[in-house]
Amino acid sequence: MTPVLGGVWAQWESCGPPPPIPPRMMQPHFGGGRARRDPRGRTGVLTQIPPPRRQVASHCHLHQASSGRPPAPPLPEDPPSLHNAPGGLFRLAPGDPFPQGTSVAWLAAPSLAFALVCDPRENLALAEGTLRHLAPRLLAALRPPGTGVLLRPDAADLLLDRLLPHGQLLFLSERFLQAVDRELSPACW
Amino acid sequence: MFSAAAESFLRQAREAQPEELQRFAARVAAQLQGPEPGPEAAACLQRLHLVVAASKYPRRLDGEIVGLLQKVLCSSKCPEQIQLLCAAILREMSPCNDLSLSCDNIQDTKLLSLVSSVLLAQGDKKAEVAAVGQRIVKVLEGRLPEGQSSRYLLPVLSNVISLSPEALTEEQTNVVSKKMADWLRYASIQQGVAQPSGGFFSNPRTRQPGPVTEVDGAIATDFFTVLSLGQYYTEDQWLNMQAFSMLRKWLLCYGGKGLNAPNSGNRSEMDESVMSMVSTTSTSSHLLPPKERLREKAFEYCQRLIEQSNRQALKKADGDLQKACLIEAVTIMDIICKQDSSYVYRAAAFLKVLHSRISGDATYARALLPIAQFFLNHGEMAAVDSDAIYKHLLTDIPAQLFHNASLAFEFVLFCKENSQLFAETSSIFRQSFPNLFKFLAWNSPPLISEFVDLLPFLLDAGTAIEIFHLLLDLPCLTAALDVQIRSTSASERASCDPAVKPATCLEAFRHPLYKSAFQYLLRIESAPEDPPERLIPLRQLLGSLASSPRVVQCADTVPVLLELFFSVVAEFADGPLINQLVVLLLQRSDQLYEIPAFKDDVHRVLSSQLVMLCKLHPALIVELSKELLEFSGTVSNIQNKEAVFTHMVWAIGEYMSVSYDKRCTVEQINRFFETLEAVLFEVTQVRPLASIPSYAPRAITVLMTALTKLAARSQDLIPRVSLFLSKMRTFLQSPAVTSVYCEEDREEILTRATELMNLLKMPSVAQFVFTPSVDAARSRFQKEVNDTLPSALRIVTRLLEPAPGFVPG
Repeated sequence: MTPVLGGVWAQWESCGPPPPIPPRMMQPHFGGGRARRDPRGRTGVLTQIPPPRRQVASHCHLHQASSGRPPAPPLPEDPPSLHNAPGGLFRLAPGDPFPQGTSVAWLAAPSLAFALVCDPRENLALAEGTLRHLAPRLLAALRPPGTGVLLRPDAADLLLDRLLPHGQLLFLSERFLQAVDRELSPACW
Repeated sequence: MFSAAAESFLRQAREAQPEELQRFAARVAAQLQGPEPGPEAAACLQRLHLVVAASKYPRRLDGEIVGLLQKVLCSSKCPEQIQLLCAAILREMSPCNDLSLSCDNIQDTKLLSLVSSVLLAQGDKKAEVAAVGQRIVKVLEGRLPEGQSSRYLLPVLSNVISLSPEALTEEQTNVVSKKMADWLRYASIQQGVAQPSGGFFSNPRTRQPGPVTEVDGAIATDFFTVLSLGQYYTEDQWLNMQAFSMLRKWLLCYGGKGLNAPNSGNRSEMDESVMSMVSTTSTSSHLLPPKERLREKAFEYCQRLIEQSNRQALKKADGDLQKACLIEAVTIMDIICKQDSSYVYRAAAFLKVLHSRISGDATYARALLPIAQFFLNHGEMAAVDSDAIYKHLLTDIPAQLFHNASLAFEFVLFCKENSQLFAETSSIFRQSFPNLFKFLAWNSPPLISEFVDLLPFLLDAGTAIEIFHLLLDLPCLTAALDVQIRSTSASERASCDPAVKPATCLEAFRHPLYKSAFQYLLRIESAPEDPPERLIPLRQLLGSLASSPRVVQCADTVPVLLELFFSVVAEFADGPLINQLVVLLLQRSDQLYEIPAFKDDVHRVLSSQLVMLCKLHPALIVELSKELLEFSGTVSNIQNKEAVFTHMVWAIGEYMSVSYDKRCTVEQINRFFETLEAVLFEVTQVRPLASIPSYAPRAITVLMTALTKLAARSQDLIPRVSLFLSKMRTFLQSPAVTSVYCEEDREEILTRATELMNLLKMPSVAQFVFTPSVDAARSRFQKEVNDTLPSALRIVTRLLEPAPGFVPG
């Protein structure tokens, strides 16, 4: 997980069948800073790299379309179990938008998609597993969904700080996850 | 729709004016300057963060507010939420020139991590990365105050070395390597105790916790790893988990000779140490230098993880973790062997056993990739015959697990990493390419760009024809895979009566009529000798699946791959291969899977590539005259494959000439002329009392032009063409035609006919215009077939029928 590029971009999209044009993505940005050092040199220019919303959206839609089933309606109250949520991997070519080619792991929750941008030689199985742990916890921490989510970067940062600190993927067993949950639970605000 | 509400909310934040922002920032400052910032301050900070984060251009905040944010961030009395918000805002503003943050005096490790996240986002203009790196190592080296934990520091270190591996001196990396070796190997195997809030000290008066367990519940048999379970964890166990999580990166960076960026290709790190059969034992390892000692402990850790993956996890999450650990462990072993080849024998033996254990287990299929990679890198040195491993990987796995999207993705990446193996003609890798395409057929959207990179390595004179057919039949393959999956999961085996024609694709799968065709389409190895005609009935049968979403997605990838195919083939194809491709192209253009948009797209690509092939090897017009005569003489081709027909006729007109092939005789020109003339006659016949079919106007103009070109070269034919062209006006004005063709099209045809007629009035000019030198023809890049010709014709027409004042002097 390239730490400075790191972080999960949570994207809101409208429920229902995918429209013919990709829906406008809102992008509350969580996680580590976007600025990165130009690899050409220490004095290189800093560029703000936009996260790959469009690519994630199109992969979600295409995956959904290929299954031939209509999108599942979002469950109203319960935190959704994302064990069987659709997800996958795709690659971003060098330069689009990151200077080096990267792999992206994505996970689709009802009405929301999560994406993790990985370093070239990252453990993708671990990345996918991390998303499946991170997503339901993020969804729970950011409830209720709505515009208020945009005002709670701290809730997301707190989770990311424990589960993806500085963008580092962690090998967390179920028990370690419980330990993290225990640490976080009094701190929920 | 809440998304619309969120949109407008974001827009408000984005459109906040600078003055508004300054005023709001001042309000925030007032809140923060109070004794203890509370929920109101938090709410303000949240809004401030949104404004700063939502804008597309960097927002400037007053130096004062920046200073205040820094101060609050570092203040120990501040609630964590406020600190997080301050850090988030400062990060969003990076790079920030007003930042005077420093990690030098921070004792609290959590805060140090938070402050580091701000500093590391600044772009390293003031050597922040090195400063953070130095500080982290210093804290790790020293003794932590009571209640502080090192576990927040390792991720920062990981971040530091990603950004700037040279931020640490060799001495510092040795310090960290030494600690990592200890954390990995010597963490406690007793569970931790429940902690009172704050602090990480264990209270000896609480009851003794038991030992940690394995994932299947058994008591741990050996040292602690990430696959060891406890109710509560001790500090060193956390560090064990963190250290392993960053181990790969650390070894890539500092494990080899000299310094390497953690993301660089690790092929450059072959260690030149003397190969030794005797490996160092753990009793003497404390004498090893830190780098070598870490390597030893890391290797042992990986071995342990691999053993632990043999257990049946009680929780699904732990089962998934086992697989991820296995992949990581094999990868790290590979890296270690690259850095010190004395490990190769131990590793190879160990991994061979592992491979036998997991090769039958579909849930562990992803781990076969790093194992194969290991043997590709080190198999020769270990004198291990790894062919069985590659064969299993390339033949069994794609055939059985093509539908596993993550496996498919990693498999194709593996192929790209080792693409040179696919270029070796007789290798197992190369022979298995039909199997690889199954991944693409089933998982088209994520894999198409990877296949675009991979295809050139699979293509050569020996595979071109087979791959051509394969690409055209790719959506068919998708449909067949669908049938295969359903057939495997069908609870009853439908009884197959050979006498009865199968009603569904599922029945057909086992029916003797179709069975071998299915087997051919689903083959796991290259079979260049088998005729693809046997797929014709199967294609028709699978027509019922042609509208399935997955098939359609696959069909969308074919035009792209076809264009790539031809561009690669053009680089190496010789005359005979080009001829073969042209014949097949014409044949296959009506042997395509029946998806409407698919056929049109494929025809479009095939027709332009046909022209390209003719340009490359113009003599094919003469060499394939028999096939081309037959093709261009079939009127139905104008309806069924207009693009291909039109481009073929254009090519005939263009290249049927002595300039391109000395063997081009007058007889041949005349034969083509007669064939095309017959077609044009058929197409422009007005039958009374019958409606005429609509032929594409482009086909008519191309036919006329081709005939004119041929006549210019065999001038006996000129009167025939001129007569024909003069009748076009009558044709176009007849009522049957006016109802079928729009006025623009009729205008166009008529204009062209007139221009051609005029040209033929000056036979030597016509000859010049239509038979340019070969070099000039090659440099004329015509995207649209008749692009440059009309302008040439118009010039000639103007010369013949000059407007007043046009002709000089």
